[in-house]
Amino acid sequence: MSEVKISAEPRTEFGKGGARRTRRAGLVPAVLYGHGEKPVHIALPAREFAAAIRHGGLNQVFAIDVQGGASTLALPKAIQKDPIKDTYEHIDLIIVKRGEKVTVDVPVILTGDAAKNTLVVTESTTLSLTAEALHLPESVEVSIEGAEAGTQITAGDVTLPRGSELAVDPSTVIALVSAAQTVAEEPAEGEAAEGGESAAAEEAPAEA
Amino acid sequence: MLMPRKPPKGFRKPHHPDRHGASKGGTRVVFGEFGIQALEPAYVTNRQIESARIAMTRHIKRGGKVWISVFPDQALTKKPAETRMGSGKGSPEWWVANVKPGRILFEMSFPNEATAREAMRRAIHKLPMKCRIVTRGEGDN
Repeated sequence: MSEVKISAEPRTEFGKGGARRTRRAGLVPAVLYGHGEKPVHIALPAREFAAAIRHGGLNQVFAIDVQGGASTLALPKAIQKDPIKDTYEHIDLIIVKRGEKVTVDVPVILTGDAAKNTLVVTESTTLSLTAEALHLPESVEVSIEGAEAGTQITAGDVTLPRGSELAVDPSTVIALVSAAQTVAEEPAEGEAAEGGESAAAEEAPAEA
Repeated sequence: MLMPRKPPKGFRKPHHPDRHGASKGGTRVVFGEFGIQALEPAYVTNRQIESARIAMTRHIKRGGKVWISVFPDQALTKKPAETRMGSGKGSPEWWVANVKPGRILFEMSFPNEATAREAMRRAIHKLPMKCRIVTRGEGDN
């Protein structure tokens, strides 16, 4: 994954009001730190940042140009998003060096279909990997084709891209294939709903 | 029907809970593949939660799993009909979950996305506020 060049401007006003003014101006407040450097408060263009994350994933490396200064390589460490509007509220960027090994969470994609009448329960959607900062994998794939009930897909089963190492225990479970629940096993439904007024009286919070 | 096993430790007839602001947590799908996310604040009763769950599970029939991410632990009171004002607070009538915008109410795991979405659409009709269907990974970090 190659780095994305993005120009940033230094942030001079802070706090709730300042951050909101920054967001209204089409920018995202961010902070750049790491490698013993003093934290730098910056504002990134919201549309360009969102496009880069959309195409490159959450581990996209940025070459940040703070108002004509030297370009700094950085990796998003924490991204705060509005849960309703899906807009970026604040970004923490950690400085990385060329050739440096970093540990990141990479999305795991399950491919294929498990055996019939089974249910795949994903225990973890990401996998911690250590890789060179400029050669981070976008995702890792693991096949569940024809997996029978009772199969466990662990971190050790994932074929890692070249230059990547597992940063977690290889026995960490990623997905479980279990037998699909049959109708007979399902919990009794609508008992109370069919119970009429007596049931309704029981459901009301008890008078102590 | 979901309700607290023991009577509440605090007040038996509490004031109405605060309905302002957005959800502070529980805004991401963590167990299943899809989720129902609230877009408005609401008091969701245990009957509405059960009704939505039944709508979902009856549609998917088998081969899926449903998680309920909210619990109705808040009692709401009501004065009887045609009662004059005064004479104390009414009696507890409902158990509700105080849901705020952004909160994930249900999560679902099902192999077929179209069926899962239809099941969730049916469940949303049983809920008292606007909701949307979200998938795991949206807005994650």
